Amino acid sequence: MQVTQLILNGLMSGTILAVPAIGLTAIFAVLRFTNFALASHMTIGAFAGFLANVWLAWPVVPSLLAAFVVAGLVGVLSDEFILKPFRAAGFITTAIGSIALTIALENCVRLVFGNELRGYDLPIRRDWLVGGLRVSPQQLENLAIAVAAMTLLFLFLFFTRSGRAMRAFADNPMLASIKGINADMVARLVSFVAMGLAGLGGMLIGLDTTIDPLVGFKSILSIFAAAVVGGLGSLPGAVVGALLVGVGEELSLLILSPAYRSAIGFLAILVVLTLRPRGILGARAY
Amino acid sequence: MTATTRRALIKGAAAATAMAAAPIPVSAQAEAIKFGILTPLTGAGGQDGPRMLKAIEAVINEVNKSGGVLGRRIETIVEDDQTNPEAAVRAARKLIEVNKVPVIMGTWASAVTSAVAPVCWESKTFLCTVSGADSITQLPHQGYIIRTQPTSKLQATAHAEFIAGMGKKKVAVIGIQAPFALSTKEHLDSVLKSKGAGVVAHVIYEKDKPTYRSEVDQAMRSEPDFLYLNGYAPDTVVLLRDLYKANINLPKFCQSYAVPQKTLDSIPPEVSAGTYTGQPSADIEGKAFNLTAARLGIAEPDSYEAQATDWASLVILTLAKAKEVTGTALRENVRKISQGAGAKVYSAVEGLQLMAQGQEINYEGASGPCDFTDIGDIQGCRFRYMEVVDGKLRFLRVV
Repeated sequence: MQVTQLILNGLMSGTILAVPAIGLTAIFAVLRFTNFALASHMTIGAFAGFLANVWLAWPVVPSLLAAFVVAGLVGVLSDEFILKPFRAAGFITTAIGSIALTIALENCVRLVFGNELRGYDLPIRRDWLVGGLRVSPQQLENLAIAVAAMTLLFLFLFFTRSGRAMRAFADNPMLASIKGINADMVARLVSFVAMGLAGLGGMLIGLDTTIDPLVGFKSILSIFAAAVVGGLGSLPGAVVGALLVGVGEELSLLILSPAYRSAIGFLAILVVLTLRPRGILGARAY
Repeated sequence: MTATTRRALIKGAAAATAMAAAPIPVSAQAEAIKFGILTPLTGAGGQDGPRMLKAIEAVINEVNKSGGVLGRRIETIVEDDQTNPEAAVRAARKLIEVNKVPVIMGTWASAVTSAVAPVCWESKTFLCTVSGADSITQLPHQGYIIRTQPTSKLQATAHAEFIAGMGKKKVAVIGIQAPFALSTKEHLDSVLKSKGAGVVAHVIYEKDKPTYRSEVDQAMRSEPDFLYLNGYAPDTVVLLRDLYKANINLPKFCQSYAVPQKTLDSIPPEVSAGTYTGQPSADIEGKAFNLTAARLGIAEPDSYEAQATDWASLVILTLAKAKEVTGTALRENVRKISQGAGAKVYSAVEGLQLMAQGQEINYEGASGPCDFTDIGDIQGCRFRYMEVVDGKLRFLRVV
């Protein structure tokens, strides 16, 4: 029973991690660099959702939409004006630039909102006991929202022209350009969707905890681990990786003190990369 | 080319006369004394650091206005330790090597202070801190550290007495991974045992996790009747929410810095119900405490604002006593003004005035008497307990 509860807890936290992890891996698939600025976009999304939910008294779902849109728009602007010029200098320079960007953006949020912890206007509900297992209704809702967001994303990628253009570009940028796909448009689109997902993920984490300017930074290492384990560049891989990291961190409690939880994500990276250097699902984007 | 006019000359002469007539001359030419402030402006300590900084600056402003110390103004060089040992060490090196400060004050987290301390004593820089871990003053710091915060041992002993006084027998400790975690648990356990109770579970968790459901389950397996949550604000909030969700309504004890009122405001009142907090009490009936309240313009400064006030005052008075601006002078002289038979003073300005008349002084601080042991710990302290009722902190008692 204890193991089942741990797996359940792991799946729930893994699903939440999967949302921003998809964003990280999507940017890698299309733009070919690891965008650590994802962390600050999670924070921006969480605070945009906070403004909508607490100041404007919007319900949760429209607030999540606000988190997605605001973080997505900031993502497009920050990529267009800050990271795009870095890209010519290569992968490492751009990734380092994204770390600088994330610290700058995080401090902008701090300047406006300060350091204190804030909570959404949301009643906290007691867990349900289902067959001896504790299930949090809030986490179930988060799970449903995360699954819905991922489903929408996959539908977008497979059944819309823009989605197919993104996949084509991820698969072979040269060929995609020859076929007339506008590289700049694809970059903007992927930045919007990926950072929007980051914002959504930031608010989902906040719904279950509290938010402060570090909300994204605290999770970025687990998200990075999830994306790498699943196969950096593979969207389903990000989901698989996030679930594995989530469940792995929980199951580790059977033998390790909780103080070593984070080590599991990185142990998973070592094991997976040793056995499968391109991650569990490889680097194919879809 | 500018010609010196008669009017300019008269103005200059008038200014010179005015300066000469000023009651206590502060030489504009003399280089200002630099105090290094290294405190968490961000991270888990981000709620306390800025307030400590304000308290330090308030004391310095007051002293500067009344003429400075040793005829020089005091200036602060502020660095953010980010509640992160690695960032803190970098900032401390900058303060010591670039700014050449004789003193660093303001470190908050025990992990940060433990990391910064060797950098300080090796460079003969004086360090003032609020970190409570026992291990800090047991480091070979050669006298370069004073802390105004009671040790983990003093705190855990007081907390255990409070918990035992409530008639609780089985305490589960859920605490953050930090230098004080283990020693706190051991001191709690030994005091509780002497009263027929004990620690039945000890779960140490990692900071910055979005949930601690499994940790809560682990602690609850020992069927405790009381919970001791030994973390910082961000993680304690997550724990309180997880406890509420898991339908666990046990009374719980937190350090006051983990649940300040602002944090309580961010969670629904039913989640924080049944929470007790304890903190080293500022000397709330003391004269220095009232002066601090007036200086900061707030009704009731908390323990951190009181302690920060005391560091600034102690360092200023020690410099005046030593007549030398070095870390070593601070180490050698701090106990000459903080304790002993001298006239009791309650603020830096008051102390400077008496010293100027050639008197010996004994600074009595806003956080307590500020009498230090050989290793830099305070000799005793009072504790203030509060209870959270309807999401608000309600005063229980001072012990």
